[in-house]
Amino acid sequence: MSGGRLRSRKSAAVSLLAPLALIALVVLVGANGAPSFQGTVTLILCNLIVVIGLQVFVGNSGVYSFGQLGFATAGAYIAAFLTLPATFALLQTPGLPHLIADAHLGSLSSTLIAAAVSGLLAIVVGLPLMRTSTLAIPISTFAFLVVVYNVVANWDRVTGGNSGLVSIPTTTSVEGAGLWAGAAVTLALAFKWSASGYRLQATREDEVAARSIGIGVMRERLIAFGLSGVLCGIGGALAVHQSGVLNPTTFYFGATVTTMTMLVVGGSRSVFGAVVGTVAIASVNELLRGVENGAHLFGLVSIDAAPGLAAIGLGLILLATMIAMPNGLSAGREAGELPWFGRLVPAAPAALPSSSGALAPRSIDRPAKPGLRAEGVSLAFSGLHVLRDVDLVLEPGEALGLIGPNGAGKTTLVNVLSGFQEPDSGAVSLDGVDVTGRSPRRLAHAGLGRTFQAALPFPDLSGVESVAVGAMGMGVGRRRAVAVAIDVLGRLDLLERAGLPAGSLPPGAQRLLGIARALAIQPRYLLLDEPAAGLNEAESEELVAILREVLEDFGCGILLIEHDMSTVMELCSRVQVLDDGMTIRIGTPEQVQADPAVVQSYLGSSFAAAVDA
Amino acid sequence: MTVLGQNLIDALALGSLYALIALGITLVYTVMGMMNFAHGEFIMLAAYALFVFAGLPFAAAVAAALLAGVAIALLAERVAFRPVRNADLSAQLVTSLAVAAILQNIVTVAVDARAQSVETPASLSESTAIGGISVPNLEFVTLGLTLLVLAGLGWLLYRTRTGLAMRAAAENFEMARLLGVRANRVVAIAFAISGALAAMVGVLLVMQTGQVTPTMGLTPVLVGFVAVVIGGFGRMFGAVVGGLLLGALASLLGVYLPDGLVPFRDAIVFTVPVLILIFRPNGLLGGEISRARV
Repeated sequence: MSGGRLRSRKSAAVSLLAPLALIALVVLVGANGAPSFQGTVTLILCNLIVVIGLQVFVGNSGVYSFGQLGFATAGAYIAAFLTLPATFALLQTPGLPHLIADAHLGSLSSTLIAAAVSGLLAIVVGLPLMRTSTLAIPISTFAFLVVVYNVVANWDRVTGGNSGLVSIPTTTSVEGAGLWAGAAVTLALAFKWSASGYRLQATREDEVAARSIGIGVMRERLIAFGLSGVLCGIGGALAVHQSGVLNPTTFYFGATVTTMTMLVVGGSRSVFGAVVGTVAIASVNELLRGVENGAHLFGLVSIDAAPGLAAIGLGLILLATMIAMPNGLSAGREAGELPWFGRLVPAAPAALPSSSGALAPRSIDRPAKPGLRAEGVSLAFSGLHVLRDVDLVLEPGEALGLIGPNGAGKTTLVNVLSGFQEPDSGAVSLDGVDVTGRSPRRLAHAGLGRTFQAALPFPDLSGVESVAVGAMGMGVGRRRAVAVAIDVLGRLDLLERAGLPAGSLPPGAQRLLGIARALAIQPRYLLLDEPAAGLNEAESEELVAILREVLEDFGCGILLIEHDMSTVMELCSRVQVLDDGMTIRIGTPEQVQADPAVVQSYLGSSFAAAVDA
Repeated sequence: MTVLGQNLIDALALGSLYALIALGITLVYTVMGMMNFAHGEFIMLAAYALFVFAGLPFAAAVAAALLAGVAIALLAERVAFRPVRNADLSAQLVTSLAVAAILQNIVTVAVDARAQSVETPASLSESTAIGGISVPNLEFVTLGLTLLVLAGLGWLLYRTRTGLAMRAAAENFEMARLLGVRANRVVAIAFAISGALAAMVGVLLVMQTGQVTPTMGLTPVLVGFVAVVIGGFGRMFGAVVGGLLLGALASLLGVYLPDGLVPFRDAIVFTVPVLILIFRPNGLLGGEISRARV
């Protein structure tokens, strides 16, 4: 974990080498088979590249796309156009521009061009599609698949229409496909472990929390979508150079179901899973196809040829997986993260560096009017006034308590300040710059960190990853981000458990992890929504100590929503009281506590009467 | 003028058909939060029931198709969808994709991958002339059926206890359950109605084309999905509007596109709604989809 690494070298090596070894085994078995078997194995390896392409987007984003086979179609047609021999091209694709039809490229250059074109297409298509919601992406990508099918099936003069193309040079060998598959695995893992890959995984784990640490959900999805397009295009190009024939249904609905089954059965979150799933499903598929073509079992039972049987089998496997084993064979883990690897190589006790000072306050060029300010903020939800003309000033280096009864509008005010909610009227400014209506992402980049009432952990990421991704959200490189995370986690006394998945930690630790994540963006202002809720007494005392340290070391301003008055008293120099959407008092903790109006609204009139008596 | 009137009635008829598809998908989505890929296969299976029972009197064959639609929807709910009821959206979507693939290929194995022709009653393929416009009788049936379904659904959802339970489950499934709504019953009813709607669409499609194929459900389900998305997720009214718009677009493009582009009509029909989503990510009538409290 030390030295800017998120995993041990051994774990990383096993995660990379295990899928590569599996591919090598498949190549070895295939290369020694009969020519027809070689062809089958080559196609399986091409399929594998498409499945890895699918994994890059679906696995890391958690959003299903049913359109990736459209990019395989694009890659396949491009590769075919670039390599068709002249006589066949004239006959089959008379409408093709001469530049392309006369190219007659080799297999490598045509595959590379196919990859580039598919990647470009994915970016162009992804630009509008990634703007739609998580729910709409599966549907709009499915629509894209149908659009691609419709175009290639009807553009007769260029694509040969429904009858497709034949006599495409068959140049892909088992070994060649194996090499490409190995490269695809390496690329997919490199992406998964890159800063961009982690940012995307954070959006999968919790979209709201990811936005609060400055991650652009659409941008990260688009990057993965483009990379996925490249890989799918390569898979399609290599496949067409194996089979020599291509038609609009080659990579359509059936292939979409098959590749999706491979990914899901293996476990979509893991590249290793994609490889295992592809090999497993392809093997089953070949067996089922044998049955499909008619078979005699022990000379007793004879099964007639029944096309479609294999697809039923695959469908049943997919259904059973979704019901009984939604994380797939790999449980969503890479080979080096699997439990048996842990038993094989006992984990070395992680070195715990003391605060390295990597977490440094953000340098700013002396703003003219420092502070986070709300001026006259009002907001109503369908007629219900939640905030009425609220002012708030948070200076750098001070801790301001925000208290008030439930429903007073505290959380809504924080949502307005952090860009999650746009006010009906009024303005928010940050260090003198008007930021009203800016997105949470841009506010995070401007130096605003926040936590939520719920911990909103990234359950599948480890503690270090969860916090490092906060720094990565700011565009910090991976190594530096890990250093920042280790520094923050050290201060919060969380280092010991930081290697475990965040979802497996107790609630108190998850809550502290949420604060650590917000600190990792190195905020100038930190908004904490009931950070002590759910912490035990010792933990909450420690929290106060940590927050005091943050105040002193970084001069960052802290806004604290808290019900526990002792925490507020200990930390805050000023307290603002909200009731029914209005500010009813601002003062020192002592002044506020002694104010009859505050006692009345906050603690109830009977308590006030008791105090008076 | 008459040509325009003719085109508008065609557009309205196709739009109603699409609205029926979108309604079936939305109904399941509202009570269970699942976009059901297999809805297209419910449509296809009902159409095959019509093909299988083609020897019976037409009314009996239609009744068999309706029964088939309801039965397969209930079966799929019980066997495949109930176990993933609490899974996330993507997992449910993939599960329904698996069900779609299974049903489609069962029909391929049991009947054939090729299209089979079905004889349709002559009265439906004739046209009736109204003020210079000749309207195919099938379009009257489609329009009438859609109005009946809308009225029936409205009555069910807003005038009956069952409807109240369904609307409560749509608002907050867990809360409704705690308050005594029988979840399994509500979901089953939603699926049964959805299956019946799918069957109606299946019958109408067979009347239109005179044939059945195992893949005939694919385009309708996409049409339904896209209509639901542009109408705003989970809104009955939105689904109807989305269906009408998409149907009108498809129908009018078929008439007004230049000849060379007519084969690409589907591509254009599915591209336009996605462009709408760029400007209104939550659909034309959609509010916030995200329910996360921050």
